[in-house]
Amino acid sequence: MSLWRAPERPVRWFMRTSPAVEPAAVGAHRSLALQALLKGLHAEERPAVLDLGPPLSGNIKFLSALNCRVRVADIHRSLIAEPVEKRRPESMPALLEGLLPLAPDERFDAVFAWDTFDYLRKDQVAALMARLLPRFRRSTTMLVLVSMRRQLPAVPVRYRIVDRENLDCEKPAAHGSSEPMRPCPQYKQSDLAHMMPGLRVRRCYLLRSGIQEYLMGPD
Amino acid sequence: MWNKRDEELGRPMPPQQPGAAPPLPASQPQPAVSDRYETSSAAIGSSIKIVGDVSGDEDLTILGKIEGKILLPKHSVTIGQTGRVKADIQAKFVSVAGEVHGNLVAAEQIVIRKTATMLGNLTAPRVGLEDGCRFRGSVEMEAPAEKARPAGATVDRSSGTSSTSSGSGAGSSAAGSSPAAPAPKHEPLARP
Repeated sequence: MSLWRAPERPVRWFMRTSPAVEPAAVGAHRSLALQALLKGLHAEERPAVLDLGPPLSGNIKFLSALNCRVRVADIHRSLIAEPVEKRRPESMPALLEGLLPLAPDERFDAVFAWDTFDYLRKDQVAALMARLLPRFRRSTTMLVLVSMRRQLPAVPVRYRIVDRENLDCEKPAAHGSSEPMRPCPQYKQSDLAHMMPGLRVRRCYLLRSGIQEYLMGPD
Repeated sequence: MWNKRDEELGRPMPPQQPGAAPPLPASQPQPAVSDRYETSSAAIGSSIKIVGDVSGDEDLTILGKIEGKILLPKHSVTIGQTGRVKADIQAKFVSVAGEVHGNLVAAEQIVIRKTATMLGNLTAPRVGLEDGCRFRGSVEMEAPAEKARPAGATVDRSSGTSSTSSGSGAGSSAAGSSPAAPAPKHEPLARP
């Protein structure tokens, strides 16, 4: 009779609560929200697109090939570059006016918010959308990615448009790596509705990675 | 002293006395003064600051500061890492590695390097943004002549070339040299 016993398997349900086994990081994935948004852009009308994320040459080239005029805002990096006192809630409208100057009759047909809202306070999201909402047409669509994970990389990931149906992004480092992380606000649909009155969720897709894709537009 | 025969045969010359004038090969004529500088480009050094309009007929490299307007429609403009420009730029090719607050219009290409900070609108048939660059503004990847075409004007598309004009083209896209100027006015699209 052997006294050797095979080691028992670790109990998985304990590990599910550990960040180490959170859903797999987002890499390239099929995006139904992107597909739906691009369907609404008509090249012959030369649509105007606002990208709230960082400038990515590939995205600009892709959208320009669809005859889009692309405006890059890089909101998150612009905000964190400002002094803390300028980023107070009461100072946000004036700050955004300087960071995102808009022509009086400037309108957007599509807005790529990516995961920008995950890195903004509620008041910052509300101030930003209060500034942008008057520039939406009735058919304007905004793509918003919201993470349901407990932590986020301290630096936003960069989403690249691969083609009309697929997105790719830099994968966040695995738990335990040296990359700094920060708590994720985990905004729910009700939070978005509260922060953006006048906009409603037209479509919503939940990815296995824990990312929620929203397509939002005016009421 | 050198052997005149060695010079004629192309042999290496013996070392010269310090301070002695270098021998001039008799077979090679001295190039004309104007030929020496024909292909060189102009450069604005890092300590130089210019306030006003800059125009010319050669390539320009900017390592210093310029405020105003830069018009080199047939040449290249390169802003080095130390360059600080608050101006609208109109050129054939523009490369930015430093800081620019203004609108860029290029007949061929605009490249924003990873060390660049660019606030303004870009108009060119080809626009490249290196990962890591700071950029805020709009991008229109079209020939400036097409963009500047007013209603009713004709454009020669058969030649496949676009010529920039310093008139309405740059004027319609530029809004002074203010950083991240708003995009040019566009008529609202009619929607069903």
